[in-house]
Amino acid sequence: METSTAAGTDVTRWVLLSDWSIGTLTLVVGLCLAVVALAVWNARALSRRRRVALLTLRVLTVLVLLGVFLQPGRRTENVSRVRNHVVVLVDDSRSMGLPGEGASTRLDDVKAAVAAQSGTRDRWSPDHVVDFFAVSERIRPVVNLDEVQARGDASRLLVGLSEVGQRYAADTLAAVLVYTDGADNGALGAAVARGDAQGAVVRDTVARLGVPIHAFFTGPESPPKDVAIANVRFDEFAFVHNAVSIEAEITVTGGESAALPVTLRRDDVVLARRVLQTRDGETRYPFVFEFVPDKTGKSVFTLDVGVLEGEPIVENNRRQFVIRVIRDKIRALQVVGRPSWDERFLRQLLKRNPNVDLISFFILRTPTNLMLVPSDELSLIPFPTQELFEAQLGSFDVIIFQNFTSRGYDMDQYLPLIRDFVRNGGGFVMIGGDVSFASGGYAGTPIEEFLPVDLPRDRAPSALIDTAAFKPQLTEAGRHHPITRLSLERAENEALWAGLPGLTGANLVAGVKPGATVLLEHPDLQAGGRPAPVVVAGGLGEGRVLAVTTDTTWRWDLGPAADGGDNRHYYRFFGNAIRWLIKDPALEPVRVQADRDRYPQGVEATFQVRVLGADYLPANGAQVRLEVERRTYADAAAGAPDGVGETRTEVLLQQPGETNEQGELVVRWLPPGDGAYAVRVRTVLAGLEVSDDDVFVVSADPVEMRQIEARRDTLEALASLSGGRVHALRDPWANVERRAPRVSRVNRRTDEPLWSGGLLLLIAVLLPTLEWTLRRRWGLS
Amino acid sequence: MTLRISRREALRGLAAAGAGALTASSAHALDPDSRVGIAVLEHGSGYDARPGAVEELLWETTKRTSILVRKRPIGVKATDPALFTLPVLLWLGNGDAPPLDTAEVNLLGRWVRAGGLLLIDDASPEGADAFDAVVRRELPRLLPGRPLARLSNDHTVYRSFFLLERPFGRIDRSRALEGIDLDDRTAVLYSRNDLFGAFGRDPGGGWRLPVVPGGDGQREMALRTGINVLMYATCLSYKRDQVHVTEILRRRKWRVDDGGSVR
Repeated sequence: METSTAAGTDVTRWVLLSDWSIGTLTLVVGLCLAVVALAVWNARALSRRRRVALLTLRVLTVLVLLGVFLQPGRRTENVSRVRNHVVVLVDDSRSMGLPGEGASTRLDDVKAAVAAQSGTRDRWSPDHVVDFFAVSERIRPVVNLDEVQARGDASRLLVGLSEVGQRYAADTLAAVLVYTDGADNGALGAAVARGDAQGAVVRDTVARLGVPIHAFFTGPESPPKDVAIANVRFDEFAFVHNAVSIEAEITVTGGESAALPVTLRRDDVVLARRVLQTRDGETRYPFVFEFVPDKTGKSVFTLDVGVLEGEPIVENNRRQFVIRVIRDKIRALQVVGRPSWDERFLRQLLKRNPNVDLISFFILRTPTNLMLVPSDELSLIPFPTQELFEAQLGSFDVIIFQNFTSRGYDMDQYLPLIRDFVRNGGGFVMIGGDVSFASGGYAGTPIEEFLPVDLPRDRAPSALIDTAAFKPQLTEAGRHHPITRLSLERAENEALWAGLPGLTGANLVAGVKPGATVLLEHPDLQAGGRPAPVVVAGGLGEGRVLAVTTDTTWRWDLGPAADGGDNRHYYRFFGNAIRWLIKDPALEPVRVQADRDRYPQGVEATFQVRVLGADYLPANGAQVRLEVERRTYADAAAGAPDGVGETRTEVLLQQPGETNEQGELVVRWLPPGDGAYAVRVRTVLAGLEVSDDDVFVVSADPVEMRQIEARRDTLEALASLSGGRVHALRDPWANVERRAPRVSRVNRRTDEPLWSGGLLLLIAVLLPTLEWTLRRRWGLS
Repeated sequence: MTLRISRREALRGLAAAGAGALTASSAHALDPDSRVGIAVLEHGSGYDARPGAVEELLWETTKRTSILVRKRPIGVKATDPALFTLPVLLWLGNGDAPPLDTAEVNLLGRWVRAGGLLLIDDASPEGADAFDAVVRRELPRLLPGRPLARLSNDHTVYRSFFLLERPFGRIDRSRALEGIDLDDRTAVLYSRNDLFGAFGRDPGGGWRLPVVPGGDGQREMALRTGINVLMYATCLSYKRDQVHVTEILRRRKWRVDDGGSVR
């Protein structure tokens, strides 16, 4: 990048042409001083007039001789310079598109001001090259400033200055000129906001450049009328059933007092409505929202604030973001009709699972038991049915009814609530026993509505159970289902099941409900014309249900140790069941995931689809249909009177596809603009439609429009730390301090000696002659 | 300890007893062999010294609690694989016994570690320590590195059904149970108070042995101790959870508002 001028520049200066060493020079100067001193000593007795005359002549003589000795001369050099660079950074972030001092934009004002400096630029040309860059999130070279538009998504001046430092060597810069409105939302703005404008971050950046930074401020003196969601703080991950806080800071500038609605939505559900009453002299208003998510998964949260009349920018009145609600632990409720070995081993399994928070309630005594002991000598407490099945019901992920009867305890009023719990996504397990299934009176109850089996009616109690020993058989579905997958290898899985201890006794059922999946079946008993189910999976609405029609699976825990085995298969079976019941994503047959939660405008989204077959292996060639829809929530900015309007959904993409050998399909798509999006994939597995969805946000305004007020104070520290200044927009460049270019080469050198002239020789002879003559005349030696 | 039973409670109890007897007898267990029962280890002397005692404890358990029991004990040898269908094993003794052989030690140790509860009852008379010596000799062989230790007063076994301050039995030799903990449970329980000596009845329905020094009150407390042991065997630490259930719910802030509404 460096260039030299074609013709050099002549530079003339005085030099000593002699080549004496410093020792010789010192000796000669000392000698001269001694001669003068001796003359002074000798003239001490003379009259003042004679003394002055003689000493003047002696000093002049010494000086002339010294000049001859030192050989002074005039040196003329023809030199070439390397021009250094004046870097001009022009802020092209979106805030520069806002009105400046008048009707024109801040950026247009800058273009005009820079154009007015063309004369200075020409005058600088021998010494400086003027390089233009646009700066927003990064710097970008600019050839024609007129083509720059205010489209940057952020103002990060320190990043821009750092990149200038990386681009130019330290000694090739003359100065940096920055044209900006100072609405920095990077490290500089943050440092100013926290009162640390001259802190290490800013200081280090300036020091690395090593040249003056001159800031030319553009923008209106008074802030524009604007309401902005300046900042939102939240955790991207939250735990279901645990309180979540979202903190927001809303800034209001330039308007009169107003009451503005503030609305927080999760997807299309309004979580909170508040009113922001603006006050004179205040610009920042903090809000804290707290809520308790009741389900897992990703959701788009939308925070809206009302619009001032005549507000030029409304994009910053809304923020959309994604929060992923996850499960910290699986909350399981185990309700047991009577203590038993089956209960004891299952409880131990659940208690030992670090991912399970277990609440157990066992019926230790029934009204039919003897009550000869005062209650204060018993450790029993009342069965908290209302608390468990009403107040806290929604806090559980899985409910286990283990040999628990429907009769008594006012369960009639709670059974419909449990049905709704399942319908809304809860997991439910019924485990057999003498008071379970039909023996527990569940036929015809809301529980039977979602059990995957039909219960027999009008039978004698003894006809509701079978007491024979049996070896449960793995069904075809059970060979692949995640619940009964003790091993990933099919043959080994079957062998493991065959090796488990046998069971004894089963609750009899009338049949299997349509859509239910039998995983283990009885080898001898029939139900509804097919083998009676032992383990059967089903569901209702969003929830999943598992039925185990025996109470002797505990033998899979203790039994294998007889042959030196262990209980790992018992733990695997119920561990699988719990994961399936809570819809562990790893077990879901179809999944779709967007590669980001938030996309800037103009960035392509990538959707990854994965499908598992009925055997839970990757499904090759599965036909899927992918849809993307955008959800628009009418708010105050869109004219909704109280900040809340109707939700509008528009389907933007419908694309069929087929999975590859890995059971995967990748779809890329460019979202058309801002908004909350949902991508959904559907496929049909074993005759049933299954689907999954994901959400994401497209936002062109991540940070830039949160703070649009022109900020001169942001620039003060930057300029003062570097030795530069903050200038008015139209200040001439001629006034800016800059570093001179460095000389790189001497083309020609001419020396003109002064000591060799005849006049100097004549003076050197005349002066001692005159002194000698005077001394003779005055009778001195 | 004295019993405090009002006349009204006694009458209510008697009325319930009839209904309870009916219910118990008509309950249709899927597997009668899987009901809560007690196996008896046939080893050494004295394992059969308390005839009818196990039956009496089980009968009292089914009358006073919701547990369905297997009415009679099952005798097993220490090498019997059937142990692995029986989660509670009673080792009763009143004197010296030969050391368990290697096969017995291996199988019994494996059974305890797999989930079995070994209940040991010293039925020897006061002043006789031969059986105690056998127990202290054999347990380290079954569970090496797991010392027998006195259970603290707040152990779940003292509150699994009845609230007890200490264990009782036919005699009052020890004021604490001893035990061996394995992971999250007590796998061995050891009573030196001849617990089962308080339970046995003669064919005429009377008690076989006197209970000293407390008489019938002590016998009742011994029954409560036995029931608590069975309740602990089936429910493990459940009562430790139960008393804290509200606190657990509150501590974890398990709050749910409809639709996740903001409060």
